[in-house]
Amino acid sequence: MTVRPLAVHAHPPTGAEQLSQRLLSVGLLPILLVLSVAFMAVFEQKFFGLNNLFNVLRSTSFLAIVAAGQMLVLIVGGFDLSVGAVIALTSTVMAKSMAALSAAMPDQTAAIITLGVLAGLGCGVFIGLINGLCVAFLRVSPFMVTLGTLSIATGLALLLTQGIPVYGMPDVFVKEFGRALWLGLPTTVYIALAIIALVWFMQTRTRLGRYLYAVGGNLQAAIVSGVPATLNVILAYVLCSVLAATAGVLMTARLGSGQASMGGDDMMLQSIAAAVIAGVSLRGGIGRVELVALGALFLSILTNAMNLLRVDSKMQVVVLGFILVLAVALEEYARRRRRHG
Amino acid sequence: MLLEMRGISKAFPGVQALDRVDFDLRAGEVHVLFGENGAGKSTLINIIAGTFAPDAGSFEFNGEPMRGLTPHRARVIGISPVFQEFSLVAEMTVEENLFLGREIAKAGVLNRGAMRERAARTIADLGFALEPGRKVVELSRAHQQMTEIAKALMGNVRVLILDEPTASLTESETVRLFELIAQLKASGIGIIYVSHRMSEIKQLGDRITVLRDGRLIATLDAAGVSENELVELMTGRKIDLLFPHVDHRPAETLLQVEDLTLADHSVEGVDFHARAGEITGIAGLVGCGKSELIRAVYGLETIIGGTIRVEGQAYGHPSPARSLERGVCYFPSDRVVEGLALGRPIRENVSMAALDLTRFARLRIMQRGSERRIVQGIVDQLGLRPPNIERVVGNLSGGNRQKVMLARGLTRTTRVFLFDEPTVGIDVGAKVEVYELMKQLVDSGAAIVLVSSELPEVLHLANRLYVMHRGRMVAELTGADIAEQRVLACFFQDEKTGQAA
Amino acid sequence: MAEAKSTGAARPAGVAWTALLVQALLPIALILLLLGFALVESRVLSAGNLLNLLVQASYLAIFASAQMMVIITRGFDLSLGTCVSAVSVVSALAMTGSLAAGGEATGLAIAAGMLFGLGMGALIGLFNGFAVAWLRVNPFVATLGSLNICLGIATMASDGRPVFNVPREFSALVYNGSVMGVPMPVVLAVLLLAVLHFVLNHTVFGRALFLIGGNPTAAAVAGLPSRRYLTLAYVLCSLIAAVGALMLTGRTGSGEPNLGGNLTLESIAAAVIGGVSLRGGIGGVPSVILGALFVTVLSNGMNLTRIDGNVQMIVLGSVIILAVFLDRFRAVAR
Repeated sequence: MTVRPLAVHAHPPTGAEQLSQRLLSVGLLPILLVLSVAFMAVFEQKFFGLNNLFNVLRSTSFLAIVAAGQMLVLIVGGFDLSVGAVIALTSTVMAKSMAALSAAMPDQTAAIITLGVLAGLGCGVFIGLINGLCVAFLRVSPFMVTLGTLSIATGLALLLTQGIPVYGMPDVFVKEFGRALWLGLPTTVYIALAIIALVWFMQTRTRLGRYLYAVGGNLQAAIVSGVPATLNVILAYVLCSVLAATAGVLMTARLGSGQASMGGDDMMLQSIAAAVIAGVSLRGGIGRVELVALGALFLSILTNAMNLLRVDSKMQVVVLGFILVLAVALEEYARRRRRHG
Repeated sequence: MLLEMRGISKAFPGVQALDRVDFDLRAGEVHVLFGENGAGKSTLINIIAGTFAPDAGSFEFNGEPMRGLTPHRARVIGISPVFQEFSLVAEMTVEENLFLGREIAKAGVLNRGAMRERAARTIADLGFALEPGRKVVELSRAHQQMTEIAKALMGNVRVLILDEPTASLTESETVRLFELIAQLKASGIGIIYVSHRMSEIKQLGDRITVLRDGRLIATLDAAGVSENELVELMTGRKIDLLFPHVDHRPAETLLQVEDLTLADHSVEGVDFHARAGEITGIAGLVGCGKSELIRAVYGLETIIGGTIRVEGQAYGHPSPARSLERGVCYFPSDRVVEGLALGRPIRENVSMAALDLTRFARLRIMQRGSERRIVQGIVDQLGLRPPNIERVVGNLSGGNRQKVMLARGLTRTTRVFLFDEPTVGIDVGAKVEVYELMKQLVDSGAAIVLVSSELPEVLHLANRLYVMHRGRMVAELTGADIAEQRVLACFFQDEKTGQAA
Repeated sequence: MAEAKSTGAARPAGVAWTALLVQALLPIALILLLLGFALVESRVLSAGNLLNLLVQASYLAIFASAQMMVIITRGFDLSLGTCVSAVSVVSALAMTGSLAAGGEATGLAIAAGMLFGLGMGALIGLFNGFAVAWLRVNPFVATLGSLNICLGIATMASDGRPVFNVPREFSALVYNGSVMGVPMPVVLAVLLLAVLHFVLNHTVFGRALFLIGGNPTAAAVAGLPSRRYLTLAYVLCSLIAAVGALMLTGRTGSGEPNLGGNLTLESIAAAVIGGVSLRGGIGGVPSVILGALFVTVLSNGMNLTRIDGNVQMIVLGSVIILAVFLDRFRAVAR
């Protein structure tokens, strides 16, 4: 039995220390956001075009949903490499089943859409369950498990489509949902806001939220206190995959076809980056969804800005890689500063 | 009879932690569990708390056999443990921790108002100075201890397990805790109290159960038993046979520390020195900074002020590698976390700190033959059994693991030995051998610094005894002054002066 | 002494049997797998295919041994695959570039290609090592970052197209040649693995890697310069991967921006299946060879029995998860 003692602050932190701590974890993000918007105001006014802003908001919404899921897994001390692959699998499975259903019962549009979306979300539940069960029961490295499911889900998606986009979803689904505006804003934005609000409520007002923090913060303590740790870890992985699948549904509806190339490594990387920038700890136990949404907004603005400034898309990947490493290095630095007063 | 346990056995890899132990607890009594570290106390209370199941034996609570008990189930039926390793989540608030696992909620949605109210009431009832909204990570160890106790008393409690609850409390906090224990007793709760402070045991205990090396030695009434009897039951031998007689012949000062302050302020403005040919003891409560002090000297903590001299030479910015070069060696208290690579063989663990020496490696190429010979020699000298140096350390008992650690100190010329809680988790036999080794080292002219929370250990072995309290050196005792009462008085010193002022 | 009895006694016979079973499990599974494929497709056991298997396994063993260097330290290298791509592209560009500049001095061009390729590898390793050992970034995240950086380098430098006109002499050197009938890739792999075996078991560096992986805190307390060794482990990992990348470039005869493909996954699978523990501190060249053989037989068999490439991807993913199960099982049996 090796339980590490709690870190103890010999002295309460001083005002200056608290300030620098805040800046390092929370305050940096709004500042970065304001700076990047100001930068665009000076150098590239095209950024503020309505269409461009819609694009930014849409990609923020997709990313925020996936990153919120990633955050839940990070909070329980895990990691999910498979989110991008889940999106791909959801997209192809949903499109395939809608196309098949359309052929079988052409008039039942509502049923087609409902069953198709459920099939897509079912993929999320399926992959999430594999991840969660393996991690929780075997207590093995989540990296390995999700690396495995990443490969499995991608393989399944490619197998289903042979790499060809799947058309044949009902028009209503694409035109009046995926690409529609409600009250002047893309539908996706409302759904993302609703999901963020729900996750926020879950984190702050429900037992489940507390249990996730407790399991990630001190597993031993949680178990001893009667928190069903295994169940909560599994739930976190399932929720993460279902959120990724939700993003997959929205992205497919927007695009109008199911594609095995959707999501991919890019989404996985960005979701982790958004969470980490927002101060979610890779050691578990810390993370708030509202900040993660801000992190997603920042990354989307950054990507969009690089596109507008004609930064090579391959270069963008490099930048993202650097940002990820830098964000984690900063978090680690802040953590050690905090410990050594 | 609240609890009744018969013939309880439990084995871990390499150790028989409990061997056919009987234990029972009545309602409204304080039953003290007494024994050295590693005697099986913590295994026993962990079985009662449902952390793990016994390999054999019967265990009844309230006349019902307990099978497949989990920590959660144990809490629900009223068995509340307060462990030394706290069951608190650092990043959560006191209130959130108090209700962890039994939140007031409807359909999963928390009733935060009700919880806030009840938390405030509980804390007020207990008379603890706790703020429910503070994060646990920001609290002192004593306040974390109070949070832990408050948490244990939240639900319906029939059996309360207290594991060294006073190890980090001040005197007034201790007094408050004892009042509380009296109240709980009166209300019919059974209390299992683990401690090895004689004064407490005599003051609180109704019955005492003594464990040694995983076996039940005796269960007796607290009233008619003397302190010496207890110690002899615990150690299995007369006190003067347990601790060897060390001839201290203090010579030159090998280690001199002046005005040392650490970055985390766990040690502030501390002076001390250690001389060749004597054992210098450092005593203090848990969290007083005594361990951090010698860790800093060795190079494991960040120093922000003060000077260190080794053999008269200034030694700035210590690091483990340079300390070893200068003949300073540190034996960590937690051998699993800081000492040993459990998956690797004894040989590699012993030579680990000496790979820079030509005896072990030339031109960065290992001298495996020479390594094997030297390590075998040291292992034989220390009496490690069996003396097979290719065994994986993870399969060894606590005593043998400590010997592997100590062997590391003998692979190179070392003059200053820093021992941090050297006998935690090892049995009496191994203990005596560790003391014997210390004696040999002192005889051969080494300086030993012994940091220990086991008072008898420092009291009997040290030639000079420093006492630390809240990061400061509060006393240096010599000769006849080295006595339990003097040391305990030092622990509570600043509190009394504070009250007087 | 009381405890001498409990520790001195031999472990229960059952445990010893389990340990033995775990040892024998992989070789048996390997043979069964080979025979199973042979039943479906007789060409599996033909001399030509067996030789081919050996060559394939040589490449994989090199990459898996690279991965092993960091897994032993409780680390991980997700960037291995894209590192291979980047090295391939950069070395091919260096060769074609120096040919274009210096006329017909092929020897020089090949040397330049190797130099740039290995340099690229060392640089990537240095980045990973610096991030992990000095910035204390979680190895997964650090190498996830460098995965993307390498991907960017590989595609940008090549514009996403293969770099052709790699001198034929280079291919002759690292691929077509043979020593006493043994194909060059096998010879190179055996040499490299022999050196690695020596490094791991007979040098201070190798010893330090095992100790750091076994217990990083203890290694630091014992005065080992952990950060330096850790950095070196990542550099070595990427360097070995770079050697493998050069050999693969010689085989395809061009610098390929997608050369890495599934290599990260396969190298991890091979190392872990072979018995390199994800908990650090345990591993060795023999394990890696066994694991590489297993994965190679599996994919070779699936190729010959014409199993869809996408299905192979699914199988590989399942094998990774299986490897984790196996790792867990070994830890319990130990």
